[in-house]
Amino acid sequence: MPESPTATRDTLAGLIPVSIVTGFLGSGKTTLVNRLLKRPEMNRVAVIVNELGEIGVDNDLVQVSSEQMMLLNNGCLCCVLRGDLQETLRDLFIKRRNGEIIDYDRVVIETTGLADPAPVMQTLLTDSMLRDQYRLDCVVTLVDAVNATGQLVQFSEPVKQVALADRLVVTKTDLAAEEPLETLTERLREINPRAPLRRATNGEIELAFLVDVGLRRSRADLEEVERWLGADEDHEHGHRHDETVQSFVLRFEKPMAWAAFTQAMDVLTALRGPDLLRVKGLVNVEGKSGPMVVQGVQHLFHPPLELAAWPSADRTTRLVFITRGIPRQVVADLFAAIGAIGTG
Amino acid sequence: MAAEGTLRPGGGAAQLALNMKLLGHHELAGFGGVGEGVNMQKAKDGRRILWMAHESAPKNFTAVDVTDPRNPKMVVQTDLPHNDVRSNSLDVVGDIMAVAYQTKKWGLKPAGMDLFDISTPEKPRLISHFDTSGPHSRGAHCVFFVDGEYVHLTSGAPDFEPTHQKDDQFYRIIDVRNPSKPAEVGRWWYPGTRKGDSAPPPPRHPRFDGGYRPHNCTSYPKKPDRTYVGYIDGGVWILDISDKSKPKPVGHLQYSPPYNGFSHTVLPLLERGYLIVSDECVRDNGEDWPKPTWVVDAHVESNLVPIATFPLPPAEIFTKRGGRFGSHNLHENLPGPCSFRSETLIFGTYFNGGVRAFDVSNPMQPKEVGYFVPATPKLAPKGSAQINDVWVDENRIVYAVDRFGGGLYTLETTF
Repeated sequence: MPESPTATRDTLAGLIPVSIVTGFLGSGKTTLVNRLLKRPEMNRVAVIVNELGEIGVDNDLVQVSSEQMMLLNNGCLCCVLRGDLQETLRDLFIKRRNGEIIDYDRVVIETTGLADPAPVMQTLLTDSMLRDQYRLDCVVTLVDAVNATGQLVQFSEPVKQVALADRLVVTKTDLAAEEPLETLTERLREINPRAPLRRATNGEIELAFLVDVGLRRSRADLEEVERWLGADEDHEHGHRHDETVQSFVLRFEKPMAWAAFTQAMDVLTALRGPDLLRVKGLVNVEGKSGPMVVQGVQHLFHPPLELAAWPSADRTTRLVFITRGIPRQVVADLFAAIGAIGTG
Repeated sequence: MAAEGTLRPGGGAAQLALNMKLLGHHELAGFGGVGEGVNMQKAKDGRRILWMAHESAPKNFTAVDVTDPRNPKMVVQTDLPHNDVRSNSLDVVGDIMAVAYQTKKWGLKPAGMDLFDISTPEKPRLISHFDTSGPHSRGAHCVFFVDGEYVHLTSGAPDFEPTHQKDDQFYRIIDVRNPSKPAEVGRWWYPGTRKGDSAPPPPRHPRFDGGYRPHNCTSYPKKPDRTYVGYIDGGVWILDISDKSKPKPVGHLQYSPPYNGFSHTVLPLLERGYLIVSDECVRDNGEDWPKPTWVVDAHVESNLVPIATFPLPPAEIFTKRGGRFGSHNLHENLPGPCSFRSETLIFGTYFNGGVRAFDVSNPMQPKEVGYFVPATPKLAPKGSAQINDVWVDENRIVYAVDRFGGGLYTLETTF
């Protein structure tokens, strides 16, 4: 008797989604997280914060087990990041399995305002134990409508936070005039043209905008893939490029050898790893029936995953790059030089 | 308020789940103690009927319509003739159901196996009774019936006198091609367990003498010349049954002692050449821990090699949750129309560890991919759920049953 149609595991589908909420000092991260936790759908979330007092101030506390964890009355768990995120995420999963904490079905990590989100993302991509249990769902970057324009000039952290985002949320829009708001939006679009952007006041934003962004099953449909990759149009033309941060898409119509792809990426990460802020996409690999999913942050990449099938008839390799000072042509030339591949 | 030391509403007795979602629950009319016989019938009218043998008297078996797994409905529930017998095990092929009967003491009746016509699930009709009672027999503990032709039975017999009272059951192949007249066509027992054997009786397990009896004897139409046996303290056996009248051992694995015996189910991954072997936990509160589920390399049948065990949650926590914690039954990749079959995804039951799913794509590194531990059922005698057996259907809906009062849980998987 043959195996059942459901005989194998979907290696993406069983993973617990992780959302990273980042943004510069005063951008309203805590307000947004507190609002999210009030949603009935968000009643089994483990929130990792830097200080316990920040979250759930208007929640009735059910129980504090230690200085590091508390249970909120809506069923969510709040946990302080002490030291290592890797250790915190492992510890949470072990405690969940032991029945010591709630069966959380999502993790939300609120970074500090000065944090570089890249190492947080890298933790999820590279730790093999964490990779077995969690998947990066969404990097949400909050931008303060009043102060961000100046901050983006003065500081490097907010630029990187914006560049790495899957979703951009402009906060405190009620305090800003429309014209500077438009200038800010344009600036954000220059740094990260693909991440959908919304405005929010008092952390009010629709949940669907922020969740289920990452690929959550290997039988992902076109809508899911496009949601993950962001806007498909190439913003190269007609926009002034940020001096340092750029975003572009490379497309290859012909399937490529996996060895050629990895060789190109190895060269790129060896030479310009720190400037390769984020790479994500689908690769049409010779001999594979489904696309390979590629995700990387700077020099670290998630081991490749093969989707069960292409989500549409279009089998073009699509790679989204967000870089610091690496122009599109350099990457395209590298791929052309290494593989006998056409660039479409 | 959560119990001290835990951060979950309801404390440690609350439901635990990963990648398995509860769809429905049925308490089986207050008789929610189910043994290790669970099988699904696709009735002629299209209904999907789950048949369950009870763990102990007074109930014999219960059928539940699970066509809508969110809304299970009881179809029939039957009684045993007295309280010194239990059914425990059943299997279904088409509209025929085989049910085992084991008595508490030697010499009692009914002991053996019934065959029922279940073409009308509401009215199971007895076709025949295969009597295995005898002066040294408690009857049958387990049936394995998947091809409609032979029942692989774990049973005593009137003519079998064991060398040790715990070794009173052995492997019997029963021809049921004429279900009105079941007849034994072959048998095999562990050498030395029958009086008169030339071999000496096997040594008793030094700490937990569970006996030398088969538990599950599994044989698949895909490989009709083999039977895989968990022989309790006698380890794992592979028998060549190409001549059913003379089963011949071709492979044996004994790992107890140092392990704690009670080899229970041997699930062969026939395409890949591995065996998944569960050892039953039979003592409460971790007394006989560890009771692993093993991955055994069976590429060379005459040299079976254990290569991994399934990663179970920590014993120091679960052995304190009440009742038993450790391996027990596995979903057995049965050939029927409603059965899930996989060479890589394995479902097993772990008493207070609930029902758990593992991915053995890499046989040396099995991964846990999901679990469901129900909240403690009402009036649970052990203070915890004791998930005893599992059936998985072709759509990967999981049917898990409690040993005492919890009844049936229907679950969907999200991995």
